[in-house]
Amino acid sequence: MTPTLQTFSARLRDFISRAAPRTERGFNALALELFALQFDANVPYRRFCAARRLAPATVEHWTRIPALPAAAFKEYEVTCLAPTERTRVFHSSGTTQHHPARHFHSGASLEVYEAALLKWFHAQVMPPDSSGRALCLTPAPEQAPHSSLAYMLGAIRNALPPGAVAFAGRLARSGAWEVDTAEADRIVHAAVAAQTPLVVLGTAFGFVHWLDTLAAGGVRHSLPGGSRVMETGGYKGRSRSLPQSELHALITERLGVPAEAIVCEYGMSELSSQAYATVGTTAELRAFHFPPWARAQVISAETGALVDEGETGLLRVLDLANIFSVAAIQTEDLALRRGNGFELLGRAALAEPRGCSLLAVA
Amino acid sequence: MISMNLPNFFLADLGADAALTPGTITEACATLRRNREHYLQGRSTGGLIRLLCEVAENWLQPDYPLRQRALEEGPATLGFSAPTLARGLDACFRQFTPEQFHALLTQELGHAGRLDGFSATSDEDRQRRASLARGPELLAHIAAGNLPVPALMSLALGLLVRSAQFLKCASGTALLPRLFAHSIYEADAKLGACLEIAEWAGGHELLEEALFAEADCVTATGSDETLAAIERRLPRRARFLGYGHRVSFAYVTAEVLRGAGAQRVAARAAADVAAWNQLGCLSPHVLYVEQGGTPPEQFSELLAQALDALEAVEPRGPLSPAEAAVIASRRSFYEVRAAHSPETLHWASQGSTAWTVIFEADPQFQASCLNRFLYVKLAPSLTQVLRSAELVRGKVSTVGLAAPPERARELAMELARWGVPRICPLGEMQSPPLAWRHDGRPALADLVTWTDWET
Repeated sequence: MTPTLQTFSARLRDFISRAAPRTERGFNALALELFALQFDANVPYRRFCAARRLAPATVEHWTRIPALPAAAFKEYEVTCLAPTERTRVFHSSGTTQHHPARHFHSGASLEVYEAALLKWFHAQVMPPDSSGRALCLTPAPEQAPHSSLAYMLGAIRNALPPGAVAFAGRLARSGAWEVDTAEADRIVHAAVAAQTPLVVLGTAFGFVHWLDTLAAGGVRHSLPGGSRVMETGGYKGRSRSLPQSELHALITERLGVPAEAIVCEYGMSELSSQAYATVGTTAELRAFHFPPWARAQVISAETGALVDEGETGLLRVLDLANIFSVAAIQTEDLALRRGNGFELLGRAALAEPRGCSLLAVA
Repeated sequence: MISMNLPNFFLADLGADAALTPGTITEACATLRRNREHYLQGRSTGGLIRLLCEVAENWLQPDYPLRQRALEEGPATLGFSAPTLARGLDACFRQFTPEQFHALLTQELGHAGRLDGFSATSDEDRQRRASLARGPELLAHIAAGNLPVPALMSLALGLLVRSAQFLKCASGTALLPRLFAHSIYEADAKLGACLEIAEWAGGHELLEEALFAEADCVTATGSDETLAAIERRLPRRARFLGYGHRVSFAYVTAEVLRGAGAQRVAARAAADVAAWNQLGCLSPHVLYVEQGGTPPEQFSELLAQALDALEAVEPRGPLSPAEAAVIASRRSFYEVRAAHSPETLHWASQGSTAWTVIFEADPQFQASCLNRFLYVKLAPSLTQVLRSAELVRGKVSTVGLAAPPERARELAMELARWGVPRICPLGEMQSPPLAWRHDGRPALADLVTWTDWET
């Protein structure tokens, strides 16, 4: 690893810790600097830029930095890290993919990941000085070493007092994630008995699995005031899928957490920062927002230009915390532009063409 | 959309929001049966053919009001540009000639008079036999939404076998069948009274059960799951003809790519990709190219130019953001691959998703995301191509072939042995003749029931 990437990490961690305001010039300078470093150190990214005939010398604004398609993480080693420096790899989730995306990390890159995720999580979901407890519906990171989500929840656990965070997820024999619903119920009962607010964190399919069990047993929990829910991710065929509004209504009905205390998280293994949206609040807050060190743009799939307010396109993210891979990433997620943020609509690759096709072949 | 200058004659005329009930369907079916008995059963084959040809001739006239209306309303409701629609409709209606109908009847029934009365081929005559074919009294069609012409063909064939017909269209796709039915109604109101067109979202069980309870035969086009779901719900007495989704590809030999031929071949391939925006089962996903003529990479570039030229005169038309996103994401994927390997190349329309050509040396069959997105792949030999298309064996509809006459027969034999039901010249993949056997099944013969008379 080049010392300059490390120097950059130190500066970005400083930027994160101060939660520096979004000054356009400051962000732009950091983005261009990181682009130059990654262009040098990341071979697949440099090849991609070269094919587009773009290089640091010809790019003057962060919006012009070539965004690498997220799919590149499936076929190539999109990293600035030498093989010996890679101490951890996060894989994209999903059960049907032959080649999962791989995002390589080192000790240094994980430090940045943790700093970035904690700062924004504390600001958006659960303050660091909160006396409350948290229940994760995912497996613990020790059980799911390739999950960036489990790693994130592990980092949140490590930042809170011992015992404050519990994991009720586990691995089924197939390797798929499932929720130990009895354990989840036990933790909820304890929080209700002690009248301690509880933050419940999980994937949408984890929630559906648990809430369906509660509904089948006619159980309605009533979590104490101040409790919150953070829900993330799609279903990927692992539970019945239902519209987000129905999931949120079910959460309110079965856990007693009101809509304004439900937060949605958008994250992917290829990124180091997350975006959050708060359900049941103002239109501005209902949109997803990244922290000041990452920016989202919604790009017209048809023309490649930025879409106008309220229009639909593909989400592109520039994440300065993605120091050792690539900062500018073109996702396959369809989003609606909402102010500085976005509303999530779904995954383009799953959108079905209306013609005769046998998608299974792809 | 309620028509201002067309009578409200079919259920689909009442608009997509018309509240249909099972009772409406049952009643419509009873009317259809009655009208068939009075107005259709006794018609002659010759008379029906004359009428269908006359209607088709109208549709081919640029100033025919129903055609004009299809081209005006079609782009917004169906998503095809007016020139794309016009080319597709012309290809379909040009097939409606007395000669083609005659060929269809003799191919399918052995004798053109079978539907009129007892008739016999000379062989049968010698054996003192004569036969008569009858179509189902009430024929129901469940049409897929991807393109409009198969439903028009179904209606024409149904009329020929004297069936009253109920055509159920997928949501938002009734426009062309409705206009076609109106053109028949205009030409012969009594025949029009033997047709019903309705539109509802597939899977509306109560409406469909009412229809299935009345139909003697049900045809359906759609995914394998849709077909299986329909077949499960049919009463035992109804015959079922299901046409599943299929894929197609093209095969170009080295010989036809020598000299100036390459450009002509590219233009024909582009026409196949642009027809119905590649959304039909007969549209090519992949074009396989042999080496030895114009290098395949160079041929891909010619194809890109041909698609670009076609876009100017026959634009693809706008897509929803979700459909465009599928193309954009797939293009991105190949852009990265192309940056890493000389064995992948890509060409794409500038500032739009109008057309895309991906060249890959790897012959592995790849399903396209369609809407004019074509794969060009190296063909070491037809045998190897078929090996790499093993995943879609039995699911292929058409192979568009560009080959010199001295090789064409041998290639056709190999394709036939592998199970391809239709082989046609490149450039005509989306223009099957009237007598085409859909998925290798008889066009008319599957519809009829026979009476044999041994004298």
